[in-house]
Amino acid sequence: MLVEAQRNRGVVRRVTGLARSTPGRLSLVALLLIVASLLVGALTAVAVQRRSAALEVLADRSEPLAFAAQEVYRSMADADATAASAFLSGGVESADLRRRYEADVAKAAAALSTATGEITRSPELSTALSTLSGQLPVYTGLVETARAHNRQGNPVGAAYLREASDLMRSRLLPAAQELYRVETRNVVRDLEDAGAWPWLEALLGTLLLAALVMAQRYLTRRTNRVFNVGLVAASVACVVSLLWVLVASLVVVSDASAGKDGAAAVDVLARARIATLTARGNEMLTLVSRGSGTLYEKRYAEVSGELKGLLDQAGHQPPTSAVRQAGDHYEQWQQAHAKVREADEKGEYTTAVGLALGSDAGGAAVAFDKLGADLVEALGRSRAELTDTIAGARGALSGAVPVVVLLALLTAAASTAGLWQRLKEYR
Amino acid sequence: MTGRRSGGVIAFAAVLALVTGCAPVPSGAPGIGGGSVVPPRPADVTESVVPSGTAAGPESCDATASLRPVGLPPAGQMPDGSRMKVIQDRGRLIVGVDQNTYLMGFRNPFSGELEGFDVDMAREVARAVFGDPTRIQFKVLTSEARIPALEDRQVDIVVRTMTVNCERWQKVSFSTIYYQAGQRVLVPSTSDVTGIESLGGRRVCATKGSSSLANVADAPSEPIAVSVPNWTDCLVMLQQGQVDAISTDDTILAGFAAQDPYTKIVGPPFTAEPYGMAFPKQDEDFVRFVNALLERLRADGTWASIHRRWLGTPPAPPVAAYRD
Repeated sequence: MLVEAQRNRGVVRRVTGLARSTPGRLSLVALLLIVASLLVGALTAVAVQRRSAALEVLADRSEPLAFAAQEVYRSMADADATAASAFLSGGVESADLRRRYEADVAKAAAALSTATGEITRSPELSTALSTLSGQLPVYTGLVETARAHNRQGNPVGAAYLREASDLMRSRLLPAAQELYRVETRNVVRDLEDAGAWPWLEALLGTLLLAALVMAQRYLTRRTNRVFNVGLVAASVACVVSLLWVLVASLVVVSDASAGKDGAAAVDVLARARIATLTARGNEMLTLVSRGSGTLYEKRYAEVSGELKGLLDQAGHQPPTSAVRQAGDHYEQWQQAHAKVREADEKGEYTTAVGLALGSDAGGAAVAFDKLGADLVEALGRSRAELTDTIAGARGALSGAVPVVVLLALLTAAASTAGLWQRLKEYR
Repeated sequence: MTGRRSGGVIAFAAVLALVTGCAPVPSGAPGIGGGSVVPPRPADVTESVVPSGTAAGPESCDATASLRPVGLPPAGQMPDGSRMKVIQDRGRLIVGVDQNTYLMGFRNPFSGELEGFDVDMAREVARAVFGDPTRIQFKVLTSEARIPALEDRQVDIVVRTMTVNCERWQKVSFSTIYYQAGQRVLVPSTSDVTGIESLGGRRVCATKGSSSLANVADAPSEPIAVSVPNWTDCLVMLQQGQVDAISTDDTILAGFAAQDPYTKIVGPPFTAEPYGMAFPKQDEDFVRFVNALLERLRADGTWASIHRRWLGTPPAPPVAAYRD
C-alpha cells in the first residue's frame, strides 16, 4: 500500500516536474498541436463532407425528383386538355391528338415511377403518390371507355369523358400539384443546406492557426530563434487548408444562391407551362359545354390572368428570347380566344370550334402550341442552367476532403518535427 | 480449450444474443397503400334527395292547356312589335336544348352536331320564323338550368324533354303538348326489378331539377333518389354499378336502352309527362305563334315524319288543348 502510494507520488512528481521543465513543456505543446490539428482536420473534413453530401442529394435526387414531379403534373394537365380537344374535334379523334394523349400518359406513368421510388424520403407525400398511381389507370380506363362509346356513336361516351375529366381535375391534378410543391420545396431546402456559410470551418482553421502562432512565439521566447521551420511549415499547411476550404465553400455558397434563383426561375416557368395547359383545357370545355360553359370561361380568365403574371415574372429575370416570344404568343392566344368567344356568343358555333382547333395562323390552337413550345424551350434552358450551377458547386468541393485530411496530417507532422528539433537540444 | 473457458464463451454469447435480441428496430418504410378503393363517379352526384313537392300530384290547374293560336304569319315577315320580330331582326333563334339525351337532343359523336326529336322540332320553329332551319343557335342546358335560362332571357325558347306542369307555369309559359311521354324504369337486364314499386331502398338515378327526380323521391316505395347533372351520367352510374335503376320518361329510357343492350325497360308508365316548349312568361305572342305552328306540323305530317326519324312509327299526335 505504502510502497504503491510512494510510487504514485513519484509518478506525479515526475510528471509535474516534467511539465515545469522546458522539455516537458515542449513535449506537451507538441502533443497538443498534434491533437488540435488532427481534430480540426477531422471536423473540417466532416463539415465539407456534409456540404458535399447535400449537393449530391440535390443533384442526384431532389432536382431530378422535382423535375419528375413537374413532368407528372404537366403531362396530366396536357392529357386532360388533349382529351377535351379530341372530343371537341368530333368524329374519330385525329391521330395527332391521340399520339399526344398517349405520349402524355406514358410520360406521366414513367415520371410517376421515378417520383414513387423515393416515397420513403418524403412520407408526407405517400397519400398524393398513392392517389396518383392508383387513379391514373382509372383515368385512362374512363377515357378508353369514352372512346369505345364514341366509336359506336353513343352519347354516353361524352359522359364518361366528363367523368374522366372530373377525376383528373378533382383528384389527380391536386395530388400532382402537391407532389410538385413538396419536391420543389425540397430542392430549395437542399440548396440552403449546401449554401450555409462556412462559419465552423473558418473558426476551426483560425483557432488552429492561432495555436500554431502561439507555439511559435513561445519557442521564440525560449530559444531566441525567430522562426521554427517545422512550425512555419505547419502554419503554411494550415493556412492552405483553411483557404482551400473557405474558397471552395464560398464558391458553393454563391452557386447555391444562384441555384435558388435558378430554381425559382424553373418554378415560374413550370407553373406557366401548366397554367397554359389548364387554360387550354378550360377553353375546350367551354366549347364542349356549348352555351352552359360560363364556369369554364371564368376559370379560363382566372388561369390566363395567373399565366400573364407568371410570364411577367419570368420576364423580370434577364429574359431569354423564348420568354419574350412567349409573351407575344400569349397575346396572340388571348386575341384568338376573344375571337372564339365572339363567334360562339354570336351563335356561330362551327366557326368558333374551327377557330379554337384549326391550324390557320390566327387560330387559338396555333398560338397555344407556339406558347407551349416557347415555354418548353425556356424551361429546358433554365433547368440546364440550374443543373450546371449545381454541377459547378459540386466541382468546387471535389478533392476538398482528401486535401483537408492530408494537410491536417502535414500540420501535425510538421509541428511535431519542428518541436522535436528543439527537444533534441535538451538531450 | 478448458471447460471453464468454453462455459464463459457460451455465457458471453448468450448475453450478446440477449442484448442484441431485446431491441427490435422496425422498418420505417410506409405501407404500400391502395387499401381503400375510391371508384370514379360523375361530377356533382347528390344522394337521398328530399321530396321536392314538384311531383305530378293532383294538379291545381289544367297544365296542358296553352294559349290559343292567332294565325301564322309567313316566314320572314313577323309582325312589328312582336317577340318574333325581335328574333327575326337578331338573325337567329336561340334555343335551349340538351346534348345528352339520345334520340331527343344529343351530340352526334361523329359530326359533333346536335340532333334528335327536340332539335328537329326547334329547327321547325326557326324555319317558321326565318324560312331557314339553320338560323338557330343552340345553348345546351341541364334540367336544372332550363327555367333560370328563360327567366334571364339567355334563350328564346326551351325544347328539352320538358314536362308541362302547374308549378312551372308559374314561372314560364308552355306551348301545347308536342310529345306525350310517361315515366318508367330502366334496370340492368339481369335485375329482378319489375317497376317503381319494387325499388324500395334501392338507388335510383335522375337528373337535378327534373320532374322525374321529384317523382322518384315521392314514390311510395321510397327508393333512394340519386341525382346527377346530365342524363347520360345516370347511364354511367348504372354501368358502373353505382345505382340500381334509372327512372325517367320512356323516351329518354329508350335512348339508354339503344346505347346499352344489357338494360331493359320495366313496369308500366306511372306518370304522364306531357312535353311542351317553354318560353319566358311574358312572351305570349311567341307562344301563340308556336302553337299555330304546332297545329300545322300535326296536320301536315311533319310531326309524324320527325317522330318516325327518331322514335319509330308515329302514333296520333297529342291533341292540343287551349285555355283561351
